[in-house]
Amino acid sequence: MTTKPTTNNTIGRAPNLYGQLVPMQLFSPEETVDAVVIGTGAGGAPLLARLAKAGLKVVALEAGEHWAPARDFATDEQEQSKLFWMDERLAAGKDPIHFGKNNSGIGVGGSTLHYTAFVPRPQQDDFQLYSEFGVGVNWPLTYNDLSPYFDELETFLGISGPSPYPWGSLRNAPYPLPPLPLNGAAQLMKRGCDSLGIRTSPAPNAAASKAYYQKEIGWRSACSNRGYCQAGCSTGAKASMDVTYIPLAIKYGAEVRSKSFVTTFDTTSTGAISSVVYTHQGVEYRQKCKNVFLCAGAIETPRLLLINNLANSSGQVGKNFMAHTGLQIWGQFEDDVRPYKGIPGGLISEDTHRPKGADFAGGYLLQSIGIMPVTYASQVARARKLWGPDLMEFMRGYNHAAGINILGECLPDERNFLELSNEYDRRGLPKPRIQFSNGPNEVRMTAHGEKIMHEIWTAAGATDIWSYKRNPHTIGTCRMGPDKHNAVVDSEGRSFDIPNLFIADNSIFPSTLSVNPALTIMALSLRIADCFLKKKNKVGT
Amino acid sequence: MHDHYPTGTVRALLQSDLVTEATRQVLVDRLQQNEVVIPQFFNAQLFVTLKAVCARLIPQPATQERVDLAGTLDRFAAEGKGNGWRYDVLPPDEETYKKGVAAIDETSTLHFGLPFHLLATENQDEVLQQIQNGTAPGATWLIIPAPVFFEELLAALVEIYYSHPFGKEEIGDASMADKKGWQKIGLNELQIQEPKRLNKGVDDN
Repeated sequence: MTTKPTTNNTIGRAPNLYGQLVPMQLFSPEETVDAVVIGTGAGGAPLLARLAKAGLKVVALEAGEHWAPARDFATDEQEQSKLFWMDERLAAGKDPIHFGKNNSGIGVGGSTLHYTAFVPRPQQDDFQLYSEFGVGVNWPLTYNDLSPYFDELETFLGISGPSPYPWGSLRNAPYPLPPLPLNGAAQLMKRGCDSLGIRTSPAPNAAASKAYYQKEIGWRSACSNRGYCQAGCSTGAKASMDVTYIPLAIKYGAEVRSKSFVTTFDTTSTGAISSVVYTHQGVEYRQKCKNVFLCAGAIETPRLLLINNLANSSGQVGKNFMAHTGLQIWGQFEDDVRPYKGIPGGLISEDTHRPKGADFAGGYLLQSIGIMPVTYASQVARARKLWGPDLMEFMRGYNHAAGINILGECLPDERNFLELSNEYDRRGLPKPRIQFSNGPNEVRMTAHGEKIMHEIWTAAGATDIWSYKRNPHTIGTCRMGPDKHNAVVDSEGRSFDIPNLFIADNSIFPSTLSVNPALTIMALSLRIADCFLKKKNKVGT
Repeated sequence: MHDHYPTGTVRALLQSDLVTEATRQVLVDRLQQNEVVIPQFFNAQLFVTLKAVCARLIPQPATQERVDLAGTLDRFAAEGKGNGWRYDVLPPDEETYKKGVAAIDETSTLHFGLPFHLLATENQDEVLQQIQNGTAPGATWLIIPAPVFFEELLAALVEIYYSHPFGKEEIGDASMADKKGWQKIGLNELQIQEPKRLNKGVDDN
C-alpha cells in the first residue's frame, strides 16, 4: 500500500459538548478521499464512524452548525428552532405535513438533535407486511439482518429500558441501563391502561438513566429530566449523534465539515461520482472522492437527486413518501402533571401491534407524551381553533394537560410523493412540494387508535378530551428493493444506477415500520457500512 | 375555570441560580426587546390593523405589561424567519401576510363599512369568526383560503406570546429552571421553583 502525500492535511478542531475544542483530522478538497458522507444524523453518523474506524479517509458534509450543546442550547423552544430545517417546503395533499419543527433537523447530529430518543425495536413482522396482509411491501432484508446492529446500538448508546421487554423477539441481552422514571403523563397512561387490561411498560429511551461510560468516548451524564429533548439536550444525556458517533468518527480520523451545503456532483464518463460540490460560507468547493454516502433524509436526499437528475432510472426518486399515523389525544386532569418534566415518551404499550379483529393492515404502538409549552399552545390554536379569552383560559390548564399518541404503520402509496416546485428558495434551489394524504388503511388505523386512547384517557380520569391529527417522521422517497426497475437502491444501500453512490437514511425505507425510525436508520447505516467494507476488502481497492 | 398563577415567577427565576446562562440570556433579551414603533415589514396601515387583530386573538391580562405581538411578528417577517413549511394552498409568506391582513380590512369594510381597527370589539370578533369559518366576504379570500390564513396567523401569534416570559408566567410554566433538572417528576410532585395555582375555581375577571 502506498501512502499518498498528505501535505495539505492538517489538524483542525471540533467542539465537544462543552465547547472545548478537540483535535480533528482535516483533508484537502483536492485529495481524493475514500468517502464523502452527506448529512450527519442517524443515517450519516454511524457509518461515518464505522468507515473511519476501518481506516478509510472520510469527510462528512453537514449543512448546519456544529453546536456545543451545554453552551449553545437554551431551554427555550423559539431559540432552539435553530435545530430545525427551515428552508421552506410546500405541504400539499389532503393531510399536508407540518415540516420544520420537530420533523427535520439541521446541524451536526441531524434530527437526532431533536428526537425524543424513543427507541423501541421494530418487530419481525414489520418487515414482511406484504406477506402477512397482501398490501404494502416486504423489505428486502429481515429483522434478523438488523438485530445484531440493534444489540450493538443499544449497548453503545446506553439505552435505558425494561428487562425483560414485554413485546417482540427475545432479546440477546438486557438493556444496559434501567428505565427512566415515569413522569405525570406516563403515570396517567398506566392508570388508564391498568383499568382496561392493556399491558404497559416503561419505554426504551436513548437517554441515560444513570451516568454511562460510552466505549472509546467517555462518560455521558444521567438524564436530568429536563423534558426539552425535542429542543435539544444540553447535558449530553440523550444519545444524539453529536455526543456519540460523531466524536467516535472524529477520534478515528474523520473530518466533519459543518455549514457545508451540497448542491451537485461531478461525474466521470462512466457515470460514477468523482467529486461532491458544496457551498461553505458563500464559497463553492469540490471534494474529490471515491464514494458518496447520501444521508440527508427523506426530503433533502430525493430533492438533491431530482435537482441533479441522478440515480433515477427507476423513476422512484421522490415516490412513496410516508409519514406514520400519529394521532395524539389530550385531556385535562385534576392532577398536577407539569408536562415539561421528564422524558416525553415515558410509557409504551405494544398490545396494539396486531390488534384482534382490526380492519386494517399492520398495527401501532401507544405512548404517553409530555409536551413543551409553546408546542402545546400551537397545537391548541390549530386543532381546538380557540382564540381570545377562550384560548387564554384553556392555556392556563397547561400544567394539568397530558397526552397519549399512537405511532403506527403508513402504507406506501403512489399518490404520496415529493416533487420539485417552480418556486425557488434563498439558495436558488427549487422548493420541494410534498403530497400527502392518509389512505383508507391509515384512516381506519387512526380511528381504531382514537377509540382506544379515548377509553384509556377516560379511564385515567381525563375531561375535555380532544384529538390532534398529525403524521410524524419523513419516510420513503428512495426505496430500497431487489429490483432496479422499481427501487432506487439495493438492500445494501447501493444505487442501481451509480456504482459509487449509497443512500443510508429514512428515504430508503420501503415501508414505515410501526415504531419510531431512528434506531432502524442507525442499524441500516451500520449495516450499509459493513456491506461496503466487506465488498471493498474483497475487491481489494 | 382553570388555574391562575402569580405574576413575576419567571422574572424571579431569571434572577436565581436555577437557570443556565444560555437560557437566561435568551429570556432576558426577550424581556428587554424594545416595542416596534415603526414596522419594517407591514406598512403603517396594515400594522394598525394587525395590532387590533392581536388584541382580539390574544387579549392580554390588563394587570401585566404587554407582549409586543404585532411588533414581534413584523420583526420575524422582516427577517424572513419562516417556520420551514407552508400550506401549498397559500402564496409565499410575505404575500400571504400582507394580503391576508389587508383582507381583514376588506371584510370589515364590506361587512360594517369601516376598517377593522375602528370597529366595536364585538364586530371585530364577528369579522374574525367569519374568517376562521371561511364565510368572510372579500375577493382576497378567493386567493388566500381564509380559515388556513387564520390558522397560520393565530399559530404564529400564540407561539410568540407563550415564548415570552409574561405568557409563560400566565400558565405557570417553570420549565426554564433548567440548571439542576427535575428530581420530582411524578403526578402532583412539585418542586419549590414551580409556581402553585391561586384562587382555584374563581374567575378574577
